Amino acid sequence: MKIFADSALSFISERPDALAREAAWSSFLASGLPTTSDEVWRYAPLSELDMERFDVTRAPSKAVDSDFAAQLCSKSGLVVRVVDGFLEPSEATLDGVRVRSLDGATTLAGGTALERYENDSFAVLNMALAPATTVLEVADDVDVQQPVVILYSATGTSSFSRTHLRLGRSSSVTVVEYFEGGAGALVVPLSEYEIGDNAALRLVTYQRLDSSAWHVARTTGLLHRDARLSQAVIGMGGHYNRSRNDAELLDVGGENELRTTFLGSGHQVHDFRTHQFHKAGRTRSTLLSKGAVADESRSVYTGLIEIEKGAKRTDARQTNHNLLLSPHAHADSVPNLDIRENDVMCAHASSVGPLDELQRWYLESRGITRADAERLMIQGFFNEMLTTLPIELAELVERDVTSALASLNVVAP
Amino acid sequence: MTSTLRIEGLRVEVAGKEVLKGFDLTMKSGEVHVIMGPNGSGKSTLAHALSGHPGYKVLGGSVTLDGMELLTLSATERARAGLLLALQQPMEIPGVRPIDLLVAAGADPTDLRRRMSDEAYKVELRSDVLDRFVNVDLSGGERKRAEMVQLGILRPKFAILDEIDSGLDVDALGAVARRLAAATSEWNCGVLAITHFRRLLQELTPTMIHVVTDGKVVATGGPELSEILERDGYEPFRPAHS
Repeated sequence: MKIFADSALSFISERPDALAREAAWSSFLASGLPTTSDEVWRYAPLSELDMERFDVTRAPSKAVDSDFAAQLCSKSGLVVRVVDGFLEPSEATLDGVRVRSLDGATTLAGGTALERYENDSFAVLNMALAPATTVLEVADDVDVQQPVVILYSATGTSSFSRTHLRLGRSSSVTVVEYFEGGAGALVVPLSEYEIGDNAALRLVTYQRLDSSAWHVARTTGLLHRDARLSQAVIGMGGHYNRSRNDAELLDVGGENELRTTFLGSGHQVHDFRTHQFHKAGRTRSTLLSKGAVADESRSVYTGLIEIEKGAKRTDARQTNHNLLLSPHAHADSVPNLDIRENDVMCAHASSVGPLDELQRWYLESRGITRADAERLMIQGFFNEMLTTLPIELAELVERDVTSALASLNVVAP
Repeated sequence: MTSTLRIEGLRVEVAGKEVLKGFDLTMKSGEVHVIMGPNGSGKSTLAHALSGHPGYKVLGGSVTLDGMELLTLSATERARAGLLLALQQPMEIPGVRPIDLLVAAGADPTDLRRRMSDEAYKVELRSDVLDRFVNVDLSGGERKRAEMVQLGILRPKFAILDEIDSGLDVDALGAVARRLAAATSEWNCGVLAITHFRRLLQELTPTMIHVVTDGKVVATGGPELSEILERDGYEPFRPAHS
């Protein structure tokens, strides 16, 4: 790993917080990259991951927005651009919203970031190599009317971004995170979303990286009393697309709605992991994970609902549906429950199979061809993820998804 | 142009059991035919078999539209030939919008959203319901009105209505029946309505009523048949009495 290590060490030595970064780098070296004998990495094509292809990006470049990104921006109240983890300076403002770049890897969960993420090699790597933390804060009692778009561009061969969204008490905002670029790159975003008492975050993360990218993302929602997090994660790009989306419901009344979806084609691997951790009573989580695998792609969904002793009257639901669009595609579904309290409602369901035959027949009975019916239904997976968005933004993303699906090859297994 | 839908000797099996046992019916465009019968008589089976539902197996017989055999066609081809089934419980299609469904079904996209609103107005359906996903979170009445919107846009030669009146309140029933009655003159649509209830017939005057028991038509007649049914029920029509 000499080339990558040299570029990492040279990057670290130039940064103001070099000491903390060196500690993270040492920790990464000590644990090394994961292997497929680690259960949580079992499905990743790690043997194809050659770190020597990557070089740490030392200075921000000027990203060129795709047409789609430009349209997205035109529908938003504020655009935040992050290029390879560097926050692009901007004069743009939006009432009640503050955006800045902070040195140092911290966590909003308390304690040190290194302790919190020590078992996750890629998160540790992010701590050593992300240029800074992009912090977006919404002030108390502010209801931000217009959506905020965060454009993440991966232009170099490696792209480490770190983001903290913090919503003050009784505030609300809609945020769209969009990832593009990343040809042949390692893209490692690490995000935390802290939602204050009675605040509401509606979040859509749309990942449209190049199909050669390695994308290893991890997000954590931290929900305080009566906080609401509606999060949708859409994964399209990446050779390997890993998305770990956790939520911690820290105080009573918190509500987490998580929807994740992906479309696998070619030889892609989509690896979705979720962990809804109910630490307080009267909290609620609803998780819907739906994905489709075509061609020779593979997917795995692993979800854990954890309920702490004493978190009474918790309501946690987890649903995972996987569609097989080709006889050579494969999907695994691994739901898990860890419940240490009796007075709870908890349910999980999962399925792997072809499209619903009766829904398809209903569409065909309107005169829709089988191929179009299937395409509509698959597109529907993605459209369902966008219900928290304002309609003009949702339509924009729907159109983009539709164009991506147009080239999809569906073969009944 | 007048079209003819002809069902002859239709036999259909559901879950290994023969439910339709030689069903015959002929109708022309612009006519309203009503099929009445007790539970389990095969009424719904007819509707589903005509539209090619995967759970229904045709054992024999023939269904032609202007001489073209429909039973060998796919569900898509039957719809494109001019048959539209409105369901008792229209299915939810999460993530799919009605306008996208209609475009895929071959509707002219020009000005489509406005035409959908016009159709919604005719059946007293709030137009914003048409921006939601197909039938998702709609009440029973809204779903059936939404089916009428599809009908008004797709303008089939023959509309088959499977108990579209069940679960409808009087207002909704009236709106649906008036829409169907209008369709018979607007584009000469033939209506084949399957029902338990006479209420539908108050707004939608039938050309012909067919009484079905045990998988066959056992009596055919004018509106006077429904009065007999109202008075005596299906008992006089049971095979044992015939």
